[in-house]
Amino acid sequence: MGAAVARQSSAAIVWLASFPKSGNTWFRIFLANLAAGESGPADINNLDERGGIASSRQEFEAVTMLDSGLLSHDDIDNLRPRVYQAMAADESGQRWIKVHDAYTQTPDGEPLLGQDVARAAVYLVRDPRDVAVSLSCHNSTSIDDAIQLMNAADGALCGSRKGFATQLRQKLLGWSGHVTSWLDQRDVPVHLVRYEDLQLSPAACFGAAVGFAGRAATLGEIERAIQHADFAALQRQEIAKGFGERVSRTAPFFRAGRSGGWAEELSAEQAHAIEQCHGAVMSRLGYQF
Amino acid sequence: MYNYLISGLPVSSEIELPGAIATAGQTEDSAVSIRYASVAAALDDAAVSGEIARGPTWEMAGETFLLRVPRVARFLITAGREIALELEPDSTARDAAGFVLGTAFGILLHQRGAMVLHGAAAAKDGRAMAICGVSGAGKSTLAAALCREGYSFVTDDICVIGLNAAREPVVWPDGRQLKLWAQSIKRLDLGERRGEAVRDSFEKYYVTPCGNAVDRPRLSAIYVLREARPPFQEGLERLTLPDALRRLDYEAYRPGLRAKIGQRPEMLSYAATVLGHAKVFMLSRPRGFEHLPETVAALNAHWDALG
Repeated sequence: MGAAVARQSSAAIVWLASFPKSGNTWFRIFLANLAAGESGPADINNLDERGGIASSRQEFEAVTMLDSGLLSHDDIDNLRPRVYQAMAADESGQRWIKVHDAYTQTPDGEPLLGQDVARAAVYLVRDPRDVAVSLSCHNSTSIDDAIQLMNAADGALCGSRKGFATQLRQKLLGWSGHVTSWLDQRDVPVHLVRYEDLQLSPAACFGAAVGFAGRAATLGEIERAIQHADFAALQRQEIAKGFGERVSRTAPFFRAGRSGGWAEELSAEQAHAIEQCHGAVMSRLGYQF
Repeated sequence: MYNYLISGLPVSSEIELPGAIATAGQTEDSAVSIRYASVAAALDDAAVSGEIARGPTWEMAGETFLLRVPRVARFLITAGREIALELEPDSTARDAAGFVLGTAFGILLHQRGAMVLHGAAAAKDGRAMAICGVSGAGKSTLAAALCREGYSFVTDDICVIGLNAAREPVVWPDGRQLKLWAQSIKRLDLGERRGEAVRDSFEKYYVTPCGNAVDRPRLSAIYVLREARPPFQEGLERLTLPDALRRLDYEAYRPGLRAKIGQRPEMLSYAATVLGHAKVFMLSRPRGFEHLPETVAALNAHWDALG
């Protein structure tokens, strides 16, 4: 979890890492509003944070020149560290890149996300019972399907080989595996942020996270960005103009955003299935059950 | 030795290239030769002119480009005339063929100063449309669906724009087969037309499209595919000339490559000539096979009205 400030590093990249539906987009919108300053609030469909996602197929192909559709998932993974090194070498400022991959090693045995590529990682975590509800709405699947993905130690996004996924495969390792892969690795200084704490004390939590990564910002700038990234404001933007990152055709992306909502939406069996599988890591993170 | 016509260039090749247009052998006239050779893993500073630029899988100096495809092959592409390749252990010619016809030939075409778009093309009534978009946008699937509706297949992945004697833009055919994923083949009911897998254990296959082959149809329009999601509304939007010029650059095959290889000064007037005849449209449509028929119908109607 690291100290208040990451080790001194000239690396440009900051990983904004999380299991899906754990507040990553909210954090990116906060960053976009921090960058927008007085000209905010940022348009959710035109976020000027240009960070992108680590599993971008387009960026992989632009850097390697190769057709990723002709490469196996493992061969792609073996190349990914080189891609991030090339991206970092091209970067002059600070670039926050979204990551849903668990922190893993490539088949060749090096960190998937490269060595000495990132100055820091901010790892967002959310109560897995709330994640299950949000994930099922986002993917338009049943809650049981969402729980299955969260409980599967070999779970992945975009892992099919029958069709062309728009992103590269992302190994998730299940919810617990994802959390521990990031928190227990020693390659990148990592700052843990609980979604629930972001809601309770946004200025302190957002401020500590950007400070850890070496992004200078005053309290006033942080508070303004938080106000512009307020959940109700994001919902209003989505209702008025839609949101390009929404996957479900029926459920809005900015749905409820509240913590503890799982108690009304999960059956006792569903909650138990999550607690049984992830109890140890939930306890470690202070989630009670 | 195999002989092909690829993007308008006579090619002699020691490696079989599935889907390419085979021709009767006239090796001595070949503009491009593809051969097996020993290819070093790195460029030799002393043997190349100029500074060596490097990426994770490639090195480039002047008119020499080294491409390393892990567990497949190393390719040395020289002066727009030759592709030398050395297979990696346990790799096969079939594994390498997809990369020869893709990145390696794309680099070679850039070295020759050709206008190369990353896109598929289909033709009807002697006129061609190019379908561009990012990887995974659905270019090949849409081209295959159009061919089921009476269009002729022109090219799948690399779309070279040439000029005919009347200085009108034309699309050079790059082959006779599409590359489609198993899911697309099933949804388009093209199982009977499915050929070999592009690589062993891959569920992506060569597919012979419906419709007749066509040679160098005039280019009338370029459609850039993107998903209709905010802020983009479903529909077609014509680009202004300055935006279309920028878009041509953006839709180039591996646009970063063109910047590295260097763009010839005459390319701007070439692009202006192309855009004097071909209109550029952004085509925003919902993703998913269930929406494909309505996209094909809308595109077909637009194409007919375009005349």
